[in-house]
Amino acid sequence: MIAWRPLHRRSLAASAAMSTAIVVPVVAVLIRVLPRDWTAPVRAGVIAGAAVLVVAGVLVFDLLRLRTTAWRLTGERLELRSGIVFREHRSVPRDRIRSVDLTADPVRRALGLTVVKIGTGEHTSGERTMLTLDPLSRRDAEELRGVLLWQAGQEHGGDDPSRDAPLAVLDWSWLRLAPLTVWTVAGGALIAGIAYKPLDALGVDLVESGAAAQLWEGVTTRPWPVIPLLLAVNVLVGLTGAVVTFATAWGRYRLEREPGRLRLSRGLLTARSLTLEERRLRGPGLGSHGRSGPGSHGHRGLRPHPGAAMTRRLRATVVSTAFLAAVAAAAARSWSLPPPWSWSWAVPVLALPVTLWLAADAARGLGHALGERHLVTRAGAIVRRTVALDRGGVVGWTVSESYFQRRLGLITVSATTAAGDGHYDVLDVGAEEGLDLAARAVPGLLGPFLRTPGPLRDGLGGELLDPFSERHGV
Amino acid sequence: MDLRMKRRDPGGHQAGPMRTVTDADGARLDGPGARGAGAVLRPPRNRVDRRAVPVWTIELLLLTVPVAAGAVAAYWIFTSRPVWLGVLTGGFAVLLLGLAVHTPRAHHRLNRWEVTGEAVYTRTGWFTHVWRVAPMSRIQTVDTERGPVKRLFGLADVTVTTASAAGAIKIEALDHELAAELAERLTAMTQATPGDAT
Repeated sequence: MIAWRPLHRRSLAASAAMSTAIVVPVVAVLIRVLPRDWTAPVRAGVIAGAAVLVVAGVLVFDLLRLRTTAWRLTGERLELRSGIVFREHRSVPRDRIRSVDLTADPVRRALGLTVVKIGTGEHTSGERTMLTLDPLSRRDAEELRGVLLWQAGQEHGGDDPSRDAPLAVLDWSWLRLAPLTVWTVAGGALIAGIAYKPLDALGVDLVESGAAAQLWEGVTTRPWPVIPLLLAVNVLVGLTGAVVTFATAWGRYRLEREPGRLRLSRGLLTARSLTLEERRLRGPGLGSHGRSGPGSHGHRGLRPHPGAAMTRRLRATVVSTAFLAAVAAAAARSWSLPPPWSWSWAVPVLALPVTLWLAADAARGLGHALGERHLVTRAGAIVRRTVALDRGGVVGWTVSESYFQRRLGLITVSATTAAGDGHYDVLDVGAEEGLDLAARAVPGLLGPFLRTPGPLRDGLGGELLDPFSERHGV
Repeated sequence: MDLRMKRRDPGGHQAGPMRTVTDADGARLDGPGARGAGAVLRPPRNRVDRRAVPVWTIELLLLTVPVAAGAVAAYWIFTSRPVWLGVLTGGFAVLLLGLAVHTPRAHHRLNRWEVTGEAVYTRTGWFTHVWRVAPMSRIQTVDTERGPVKRLFGLADVTVTTASAAGAIKIEALDHELAAELAERLTAMTQATPGDAT
């Protein structure tokens, strides 16, 4: 049994240092807000107390977090337990790990700490998709990175592709491209705008202090030297900002190839290093066939959807028209609106032919097909969108059936995938046809959960290996 | 209990000559396609824990009681208390609380899960029925999660994620030991099933 390991305790020092970011504004506000007739010692005491309270609060939270978080790396997987109130236990098989991201902001860097984020290549950027170890010591982090992606390196081990020369390093002449953003123009004004509120809290009121008034006076009396000067200052601030941002983000940029993986490191202040497995880099298996006009609903090879899909759309259109008209009529009556408004209920009714046509067009636009390699689905009124999804890229199915669909015998079959939107839907397909489509598109996935009604049925259906059905049966 | 469930089952609506299949509980849970001669999605084998009903009820009440109370308070304090608005507000509050009490029962009756050697399969939903399948070979992470109320009742959720942003499957309200065991097995099985470079 491999022991659970804690995060690094020096995190407390980092949190304490970070808490000054809260302490400073709190103190500033307190200085402004506390009654002036209090004696100096009382004021100082209250302020010091508040500061201590903030720091203590942050430390207690971090201590609880450290105490409730533990991780371990076994031969097969990486596990993380976390959560003070909501307890969580996450586990990732090691061969599913796609990337390791090491980040150290200046404070953590000074303390020799690094935040490790382990990704499984999920498409969303949410925190949930990553395992975050915040923080480990820099040595542990580097070691973990090496160990996690070692396997990938081994598989490619034979011909070591030159680890000496990096694929790319930062060329400081790229810096001249940094100012080519809108921030260069907007920069100075933006900073003044952002700084206004905090300065106001500190008692520096730009508007009332007369600075703004003086400036305005300068602009109106002597526009020629003052306006270009203001613009120049603005651009200068923006330019400096853009260059500094670029330099801090991309300074020390290096792209290196290690056996079987790519390593990207960058950042002057916050050091970031991302390692990806090379064999995972590939394009998505997705193609979007041209958006075709209204005339193309006879697209060859696509099977149309049942008439019930049309019924459903027409019915929804009529019901929503009636609802809108009723609401408009009720509003006009209860507030006794004057003539043009009292007729507002007629608008949705008059638009009905157009909306009905749109609904019918949307229904006619529905279609799907199963090719040798692709699952093709089409939807949309006026603008039709046809998507061809690589059948090998389907990582699961979601079949849904709303109350209204149920009554019409329709379902929506959704193929989940790593590419693009994450899921591609076959809308309002006939129930049997949709299930059949899904079962055939990825053999062996949905099939085991289908059963044919009739004499062949065995009541419980399926002769599958289910490790839980015996002990924790239905 | 069985009789009452049969009577209340929302799947029992009469829409044409339906051939519904009754499973061991008497709840008609067969999936889409049940009316034709073709294949039907069969319900997953396992139900969620009995304790899910009080847990979900408490969780929903924690959410709905403040909202309902807020609505009533706002009516009492900020309006001139016209009768029609009172009826509306009262109806809203009663509806919220009614849902908070009824939904957990419906979900307990309808939610199912199953793990086979090849895939994870769940069925959820009351108004909209949803079936989800994810193959073992595409599973990337296995998580268990325990909120405060669930901890009080000894329950846990298991979440399985795939490479898709839309592909997470959640098996809710399992006994926490069963959940830990299930997560353990899932991780082991995922490990044994060769992954593909997705």
